[in-house]
Amino acid sequence: MKIYQDLGAKLGGKMKIIIIAILSLVCIFFGLKFYTKYKKRKNFFDALVYLCQKFDVEINFSRQRVQNIILSLDEKIKQNLCGLDKNFLQCLENKESLEKQKLFENLSFLNEDEQNNIFLFFKSLGRSDMENQLKEIKNFEKKFGDFLSSASLEFKKYGKLSLKLGFVACLLVVVIFI
Amino acid sequence: MLEKILPADIFNILDKYVNFSCINEIRLRVDKPIVLSIGSQKFFLSSHGTTGNLKEAIFTSKTVLEDIVFRASECSIYSVNEQIKRGFLVTEGGVRLGLGGDLIEEKGQIKTLTNFNSINIRIPHEIKNCSLSCFDYILENNKILNTLIISPPGAGKTTFLRDFICQLSQRNYAFNVLVLDERGEIDLGNKGCIGNFADKISFAPKKIGFENGIRSLSPNLIVTDELGTEEDVNSVLYACNAGVSIMASVHSDSIESFLKKSSFEKIINEKVFKRFIVLSLRNGPGTLEGIYNENLSRLGGKTWR
Repeated sequence: MKIYQDLGAKLGGKMKIIIIAILSLVCIFFGLKFYTKYKKRKNFFDALVYLCQKFDVEINFSRQRVQNIILSLDEKIKQNLCGLDKNFLQCLENKESLEKQKLFENLSFLNEDEQNNIFLFFKSLGRSDMENQLKEIKNFEKKFGDFLSSASLEFKKYGKLSLKLGFVACLLVVVIFI
Repeated sequence: MLEKILPADIFNILDKYVNFSCINEIRLRVDKPIVLSIGSQKFFLSSHGTTGNLKEAIFTSKTVLEDIVFRASECSIYSVNEQIKRGFLVTEGGVRLGLGGDLIEEKGQIKTLTNFNSINIRIPHEIKNCSLSCFDYILENNKILNTLIISPPGAGKTTFLRDFICQLSQRNYAFNVLVLDERGEIDLGNKGCIGNFADKISFAPKKIGFENGIRSLSPNLIVTDELGTEEDVNSVLYACNAGVSIMASVHSDSIESFLKKSSFEKIINEKVFKRFIVLSLRNGPGTLEGIYNENLSRLGGKTWR
């Protein structure tokens, strides 16, 4: 009988450790997930503002084609754009009309308003003469700058907070179960 | 190149039912049928190729026209606005789109052309040896005589000029040729041939092209398309005074109507051009009507059509 009790205690101890580990990982995972989401948003808008600036410079000084400008972006910027550049280029290459669904494929972290503005920006690219095109780009740059400010603020507020909360929750789990 | 600029459905019909090498022009107008110029005849485009029946014709919309201009500009209208302001757009391969629409003017200066309502897609052709019948009349004692090609639009002026440059190169006449390609139509890039001894200045106004070209590239011969204004004529005189031979073209349906052009009075009186070659559309583009000397005496004229 005693042997069974010891075995039960041993197994219970191990189970406890496993449960603590799983719960801790879940807490950290969610913390990291929210942190990454906010960081991704911040980096995305940062890259978008950079893209506007690049368009402004390249169109102003060398009248580079839209495709060439996008293709000449740094790898890091392309990475931060999360495939938006590729989706846009694909639409141009396939002679397809630009559609929201195609443009924002795999970009689930944007809200409706942000999507609308980004869609309008890409829809206006290459459609007008230099003067009007530059005005439009400046206008969108300002808009994306606003998005970037709020995304940076969100990241500071909630991104870091969610990471900390994840760790705190993990510690709480450990304390409660021990 | 047309594959890149035309909507897929239109291109597929053309590709399947019409021989591209026969098409001279494709005309698209808002809410009007698509018209193809083949030789000197016109046809509507239908879903089964060409037709004379308006009911079967394919009509185009404003969106289609805007999309064609957008694609022809490589999705960057701002980069070709200088051309659009002058009413045309040349794509890679020398395909020229003549544009009709609303001209936006500000403080006396043209800003751009918008609301495109018609497009004339001119497809360039390389007709080998089309200038050969005139070759010996243009070259005299190893010197190229100043020559003016006279023809109505679409009768083969540019094709003639292109072939002549090519013939010079093929026959190893190592003249330094300067091609002033104001509309980017003479040199077709890989497809066309401007020979091994030709330099090129593209999309520059004639005055600047002539001045810069003579100073920097010291050509023996300048080849340019479509003289029109008094400024163009003055540029020709400037080049002649610098000892450079000229080969140019001008829009006119006959030598008689050319002589009535007031802007050309000076060069006609001074007998600047030693040869006039008249082309027409009588038997299709490139019909050679005659070769004339500076006294307007007929020297010859065989057709290559």
